[in-house]
Amino acid sequence: MPREGLSMILGGPQGAGVETSMTVLARALARRGYGVIADREYFSNITGRHSYIHMYVSAKSLPRSLRYPVDILAAMDAETVFTHIDDLGERGYVIYDTGVLQKKLDEIPSMEDVTKNRVREELRRLGVEPVVEDVLNFLRDSKGAGIIGISFADVLKTLMTKHKVDPRRASRYVSGIIVSAVAVLLGLDEESIRWSFSIQFAGREDLVAQNMDVLKFVEERMRSFRGVASLEKPSNSYSKLMVATGNDVVAMGKIVGGLRYQSYYPITPAADESFTIEKYEFSEVDGVSVGPIIVMQTEDEIAAICSAIGAALTGARSATATSGPGFDLMVEGLSWAGANEVPVVITYYQRGGPSTGQPTRGSQSDLFNALFAGHGEFARVVIASGDHEEAFYDAIEAFNIAERFQVPVIHLLDKFLANTVKTVPLPDLNKVKIFRGDISSGGLNYKRFDLSKLISPRAFLGTPDTVMWYAGDEHDELGHIVEDPENRVSMYSKRIEKMDLILRELPPERKFSLHGIDKPDFLVVGWGSVKGVALDALETLEKDGLKGAYLNLKLLWPFPLDDVSKILSSVSLDRVIAVEHSYGVQIARLISMGTGMRIRKTVAKFTGRPITLDELVDALKRILLNNVDRVVLKHGA
Amino acid sequence: MVPRSYKTDLWIDWCPGCGNFGILTAVVKAFEELGLDPSKTVIVSGIGCSSKIPHFVNVNGVHTIHGRAIAFATGIKLANPELTVVVHGGDGDLLGIGAGHFVTLGRRNLDIVVIMHNNGVYGLTKGQASPTLPMGVKTKALVKPNIQQALNPIALAISAGYTFVARGYAFDSEHLKNLIKMAIEHKGAAFIDVLQPCVTFNDVFTAEYYRKRVYKLDEQPEWNPVAEKPEERVEKMIKAIEKSFEWGERIPIGIFYIDKTQSTLEERYSQRIPLYPSIHPAKSNITRDVDKPLIDNNMFEKIFKEYIVDVEHI
Repeated sequence: MPREGLSMILGGPQGAGVETSMTVLARALARRGYGVIADREYFSNITGRHSYIHMYVSAKSLPRSLRYPVDILAAMDAETVFTHIDDLGERGYVIYDTGVLQKKLDEIPSMEDVTKNRVREELRRLGVEPVVEDVLNFLRDSKGAGIIGISFADVLKTLMTKHKVDPRRASRYVSGIIVSAVAVLLGLDEESIRWSFSIQFAGREDLVAQNMDVLKFVEERMRSFRGVASLEKPSNSYSKLMVATGNDVVAMGKIVGGLRYQSYYPITPAADESFTIEKYEFSEVDGVSVGPIIVMQTEDEIAAICSAIGAALTGARSATATSGPGFDLMVEGLSWAGANEVPVVITYYQRGGPSTGQPTRGSQSDLFNALFAGHGEFARVVIASGDHEEAFYDAIEAFNIAERFQVPVIHLLDKFLANTVKTVPLPDLNKVKIFRGDISSGGLNYKRFDLSKLISPRAFLGTPDTVMWYAGDEHDELGHIVEDPENRVSMYSKRIEKMDLILRELPPERKFSLHGIDKPDFLVVGWGSVKGVALDALETLEKDGLKGAYLNLKLLWPFPLDDVSKILSSVSLDRVIAVEHSYGVQIARLISMGTGMRIRKTVAKFTGRPITLDELVDALKRILLNNVDRVVLKHGA
Repeated sequence: MVPRSYKTDLWIDWCPGCGNFGILTAVVKAFEELGLDPSKTVIVSGIGCSSKIPHFVNVNGVHTIHGRAIAFATGIKLANPELTVVVHGGDGDLLGIGAGHFVTLGRRNLDIVVIMHNNGVYGLTKGQASPTLPMGVKTKALVKPNIQQALNPIALAISAGYTFVARGYAFDSEHLKNLIKMAIEHKGAAFIDVLQPCVTFNDVFTAEYYRKRVYKLDEQPEWNPVAEKPEERVEKMIKAIEKSFEWGERIPIGIFYIDKTQSTLEERYSQRIPLYPSIHPAKSNITRDVDKPLIDNNMFEKIFKEYIVDVEHI
């Protein structure tokens, strides 16, 4: 019977094309109207370590969370079989290379010892020999799994012979084998796969033809499995969908928002955003010139923030993108921007810390770093996005807020969003507005820091007949250094009092979104990437009679304490649960700081892997039904 | 815009006799003689005595953070290449904390002038040794003789890729003014190392010390520092670097090296983006109908077509 949705893991060594497999499948599925979400998990490594895609496909919606167990485990190598032994669900399917059937756990050098030991213990407990063949037999016997062996060597040899491809390049077609095997299981039509390969290998018709032959050879070898894991006919009515990562949608948002200067120093998982922007540094469409956007790879993160500030002083919309370690280096510049009321945007993709921590894994543990980094007191705005759609519009709004209130804006995202590919509806740009704030035409008597207004109208460096000064030291209305105590009080207060103005003027939808039923029995509170999985968890729990709501916090600083107090007051505090990808669940502490209301129930995950639907549902049930205070989640490879 | 004066009327809080006064005089004179439009001119500085200079000059001033003036200046110049951008910093500012930025500007050859107030000490924090103070020297502010080697700013700038490299002396304002004018007119990254006595903390490299020793390269008939053709480049560089190690009884000032063979960063961007720098980031439009984004739904689909899937239900 066709399924409404389907989960899969595509795994293999880093550099072997796991990501290509996912991209080709995601586009082909989107082409047929399916919704897709795919998280990419990988080591800080170029080639060889285990990487995998965790993907969910839906026939009825654009999915927003990942879930275990999975229906398909497609393994490029032996390590994938061992690593994901726990992830396969009842009557799932395993696709594997018959060439690794006799591979023993101990023979896999790329696997970390600590993981190997954990898997070895698990196999011992289950009474399974640490050999691929025995693991597969166990999965067949205990879970009724369909075990599908394909001789990768055989497929590649057939391809080499037919197309006279250099055998040294054979491994490049392994991603095609994975795509093909999954497509056959899903019963996906050949045309959508061909179309997707043609996008992937644009202009290389030979590669499209070769990969279509891989599909043919794989299909011959697994004919009896055709369509065994088929999906329902999609009920989505979209005529167009975007298939993009979080990095990509933020880049698009920035470009639409009028970005003109982007600086960055290479860092995971932020750098891809700048690459995407650089592709579009200048476009001419319908007779309109878009750009130029200068994308500057600087010598370090200090230069990244400082040059972005410099560019902002000329009136160009300017931004930089980084992750925790890079942000730490930017802090002195951030404080200067605060002192000089500079509208600059920092797009901050959190990853696992402290220090280099887990450079390629996700986290939300930098909330306080974003809120409080920098010496002295100054106005800043921190906004967070819950998903790809929000991230697109927020990337634009970050500039609007920055320029309207003349403050640095930190747009807080994370690796889960950055590297997750999703099917996203096309944005509606009729809904988008650009606010540039009060701009002065300058003149001989121009005062950059005019004290007669909370927001002094901005003239830009280069405004005709206008001269202005900036200084990190306390300054007078002209921008010259002044240490006078009364000037200090007026200038300092003016800068900080903007925070109240921001709270007053930003509409509620910029501050938070509240989801779920009106008078909930419980309230889940979170921000950023928690949103998708929390919303899906609420739907699941509702079927069990647990009626909840989700508070997605978007404006994190200045903290909208009145709104949050009001929302929290509607539920008993012991029915409020904060969820975060961190140890400390910082959002609960921030709420406590802002409102005096202490949230005691928390769900934390700090493995670097995203919270999945199954584990969040389970955690919320334990809290709601068994009166547990704190649940720490650990699942994921 | 014709300024009432290229000097502001602020009281200058440098120590009496400070070399910075000579530099300020040279800068103001150079700006005047070039007739720079103050609204199109920006002085960007770091931190320290030298970095207070923007407040004393009646052009746009951006007084930033320690060591980062070049980084700020880079964003300003790239976003609005119409501006004349002059960086001022001390030797600690530019070659200690800011060394990475200093080197990178050379590598980029962006059209910025860097004027280094070189006094061998960190004046505003009471006289610690800077990266240009030779090893073994003990100024009166130091507890013990300097234990670290000095670096050679001229040799560093040339090897980093600056295409105009010169040295001036703070109390020869006329000569320094001419160097500054030439540096501003030069297309590409320009560096001027200015020997600047610190009357309070450096009792070794004093005005007296320099007066006896400095001589002008420009007055040496055999000295030709300009690389006009690519094949002259390495030879001129080596000669200039060799000359930069002359330090002791005689100290050369003047132009060490001019490279006319290299493209500027602005020119490289112009090749990639044809409209740059005539339509630059600071001047390009980002809206239509007052507050709508320049990119509408239709344009969005055309620009980002590689991310967009036309759904075909079968």
